[in-house]
Amino acid sequence: MGLFILRRLVSALGVIIALTVVVFILQKISHTSPVHALLGPGASQAAIHAETIKLGLNKPLLTQFLHYLDGLIHGNLGISYRTRRPVTADLIEFLPATVELALVALILAIGLGALFGLLAVRGGAAARIFQVVMLLGASTPGYLVAFAGLVFLYSHLHILPATGEASPSGQFQTGFVIADNLIAGDLGGAWDGLVHAILPALSIALVPAVSIGRVFKSSLEGTLRSDYVRTARAKGLSERRVIAFHAIRNSVSPALTMTGLQLGLMFAGVAVVEEIFAWPGIGYYTAQAIPVSDFPAISGVTLVLGVGYVLINALVDIAQSLADPRIKL
Amino acid sequence: MMDQMRLIRQRQSGSRKTTSERGMAIPGSPDTLVAAVHALKVTFERAGTRIFALRGVDLEIAPSEIVALVGESGSGKSVLGLSLLGLLGHNSKPEIEGEIEVVGAQIGSLSEPQLRRLRRESLGAVFQDPMTSLNPTMRIGKQLAEVAGSAEACIDLLRSVGIPDPARRLSAYPFELSGGLRQRVMIAMALAGSPKLIVADEPTTALDVTVQAQILELIRSVRDRFGTSLLLITHDLGVAATVADRVVVMYGGRVVETGRAESLLREPKHPYTRALLRSRATLDASGPRRLTMLRGEGVDSRSEEPGCSFAPRCELAFDGCAVTPELEIAGDHRVACWRAESAPGPEADPLVHAPPVVAVSKGLSSVRINDVAVSFKVGRGGSQGTLKALRGVTLDIEPGGALAIVGESGSGKSTLLRAIAGLAPVASGGVDISGAGKVQMVFQDAGASLTPWMSVEELLEERLIACGVRDRKERHRRILEACDSVGLYQQLLPAKAGQLSGGQRQRAALARAVVVAPEVLLCDEPTSALDVSLAAIVLNLIADLRERLGMTLLFVTHDLAVARVVADHVAVMYLGEIVEVGTTEQILNDPRHPYTKSLIAAVPESGHLPVPLKGEPASPLSIPSGCSFHPRCPSARSSCGETSQILKVSPLSRGHFIRCEPVVEELTWR
Repeated sequence: MGLFILRRLVSALGVIIALTVVVFILQKISHTSPVHALLGPGASQAAIHAETIKLGLNKPLLTQFLHYLDGLIHGNLGISYRTRRPVTADLIEFLPATVELALVALILAIGLGALFGLLAVRGGAAARIFQVVMLLGASTPGYLVAFAGLVFLYSHLHILPATGEASPSGQFQTGFVIADNLIAGDLGGAWDGLVHAILPALSIALVPAVSIGRVFKSSLEGTLRSDYVRTARAKGLSERRVIAFHAIRNSVSPALTMTGLQLGLMFAGVAVVEEIFAWPGIGYYTAQAIPVSDFPAISGVTLVLGVGYVLINALVDIAQSLADPRIKL
Repeated sequence: MMDQMRLIRQRQSGSRKTTSERGMAIPGSPDTLVAAVHALKVTFERAGTRIFALRGVDLEIAPSEIVALVGESGSGKSVLGLSLLGLLGHNSKPEIEGEIEVVGAQIGSLSEPQLRRLRRESLGAVFQDPMTSLNPTMRIGKQLAEVAGSAEACIDLLRSVGIPDPARRLSAYPFELSGGLRQRVMIAMALAGSPKLIVADEPTTALDVTVQAQILELIRSVRDRFGTSLLLITHDLGVAATVADRVVVMYGGRVVETGRAESLLREPKHPYTRALLRSRATLDASGPRRLTMLRGEGVDSRSEEPGCSFAPRCELAFDGCAVTPELEIAGDHRVACWRAESAPGPEADPLVHAPPVVAVSKGLSSVRINDVAVSFKVGRGGSQGTLKALRGVTLDIEPGGALAIVGESGSGKSTLLRAIAGLAPVASGGVDISGAGKVQMVFQDAGASLTPWMSVEELLEERLIACGVRDRKERHRRILEACDSVGLYQQLLPAKAGQLSGGQRQRAALARAVVVAPEVLLCDEPTSALDVSLAAIVLNLIADLRERLGMTLLFVTHDLAVARVVADHVAVMYLGEIVEVGTTEQILNDPRHPYTKSLIAAVPESGHLPVPLKGEPASPLSIPSGCSFHPRCPSARSSCGETSQILKVSPLSRGHFIRCEPVVEELTWR
């Protein structure tokens, strides 16, 4: 286990360095100048020159890069050209909303995926209807699902709120609205947070849910044909017990791999969905940083997501080894 | 008890109509039957075609009786086993006609919960492969507790099936146990709740011969101690002969012959039973020989034609066989054949000895293996280790010779073959094949060794192109020739592996191996996945090819009887070393190494219960010090754990090498 964590730390470090290089090079070859973006088209030559020196953009490329890496080692992601605040501070402000949205989406994706697989194995009309609805949802682009959800659930039925995040209560504020409200004992507030998150999360979760569900379904079908399931049936166990105690645990591994992959892809969907629902998250932050070539901000977001991805896959590996004792970490 | 058994047997000898009348006269006997199947027909629908799995089967099992159900694939034996467990309906929806009465309950009339209760309380099941039949992610204790209840009950069960240190095993996962221990756990699980009947479907087929002998002994002792009835489903007449009280032979979804084990095997009446017995490779034949072959392919379970299913392959078949024969009394058993009485005795078909091998000029093709060692790195992190698959193997094979390499799983026999083929990383030593490049290999699973999207013709042509045959007409001629030599119909050339039957696949694999005549043919258990009658065909085919092409043959097998049939020399391997090597006569008739002796004693043959060797082979990851066999050796001395042994020539006969100092010493002094 210790060795496993060490290996993952080393790989996370490699990912960080590689990502930094890629983002740095992309920024340099894009020919967009952050100085022009910041000062606007009417800025004087002197002002541009002063700003360039201030941002250190006149130094050699390698020096700039090493300077950035040096800051990174000290936990300093630089100052955002746009907000003029430390990127770290910006991330602390925007990241929790995204993580919260992603977590709700993840839980939805896993839950719907599991339901998809289990219902498909059980068969019957309800299962088929559920499958069709899921497939329709997943083959529709996420933003359309979001708009459709807004139109029906908000405008017509008034079940769900339209946009924005609920507000936290209590003194202890982490930025995770649902968690903060729970800590403060405000169940209504937590519920409100969840209700605000449900529609954007659903529009992110549908595609992963179907991917996870399909993998889980075929894995489950394979397991139900296996010799040990036949043994379990021969013991006289009920079908429900056979599925719950013998089939599911032996079928989750491929579904977990798929979950890890999909969670990575989900962050791509987050940017669009946050824009539609005015969700104050990292996607929203990035969408504003890109047009002004705010390298420190973009780089900071990329690094956080990269490390998040490594972390997620480590968690998937741990979950797999928990599910199957034959897998040693 | 004996009286009761005799009564039941008497009852069985009557025809079906009078059985029920007579059954009333025998007090209690129908009620005491543990299982009674009457006129059972089971039909599946698979890919639009109807498969007639059972075509009217009667079967009765008395209390504490071991009934062996013998047959080849497609005979319906497993379907009959599953019907008794009420497990037929799970994957394919079958049509079931007839009666299945188990422990007084009619299976057909039970609801699913009642069926489950019956299985839980009165039935047990043991399946073929203990590697896959236990839930890999659930601890042994929990799997047992599902049927046994308390932990104490689990420990008692494990102890009763001879598992050492049972309390500790409860927290083990199946993958932490050896194959033999896993099968013991399966049997313990089947025994939970003191069932009246255990259905064991090929319980020893996946096990090594020494472990098989242990499990067969356990099965006998389970019956003796608990009075449990057992239905033992097997393809191996040897297994049936050693443990069963009564044998039921099935063919094409019908029972063709049934009777007491000894008498049925001594005097088989049905032509199929006879053929099965004759086509079986046995230990007590002398020298390489041809096995009797059954005509044609296996049974067609799609056929709706009435009549005896065996007729198309039967040498005694006549017009009357179009009417399905019923089981009739014949001597002291019952047989379903119109011509049972006129069948010739087993001796009427003399063994055909293989003609001597074609003389091949010396030195043209010989295999020289010099101190070859192969090891693999396995695992990672803390559990890293080195698996020593071969630990210095030296062999010299004469041109045109045939060497059988025998051993249990983990002995390194397959690795040796792969090292010769250049498919294993040889760490030290060398393999020298004169006429190199002319080595071909045939694998156990012929289906998997044929590329699924290529036709047989493409597979053969590919090999010819690789060997530089440029002319298209020449290639076609040689493809037809190869098909001819292995008995593969030319119509099958455009077929892909998935469209071929098991026997056809193995023929196609052989055709590929010989389309460019190899100097050396390497065979890795080519018959172990085949039915007895098919195995006979393939073994004869290999002998033919060897004779015609003058190839050198290296044949890996776990089956000593097969070694007897194909080889003139035998090498016995244990944990990556050769422990004994010599002529087939020397090794099988006059074995000297304690391991070889135990291997031969463990082979199930009619008339005696196999003598099991204790324990299972050590892991090649941690090989015992000194003589690697000493922990299991019945005649080990204290020094055996310290000094490692070397292969020494036997003082009695040249060319016979034994890796056991005490044995060689003893022979010298004698």
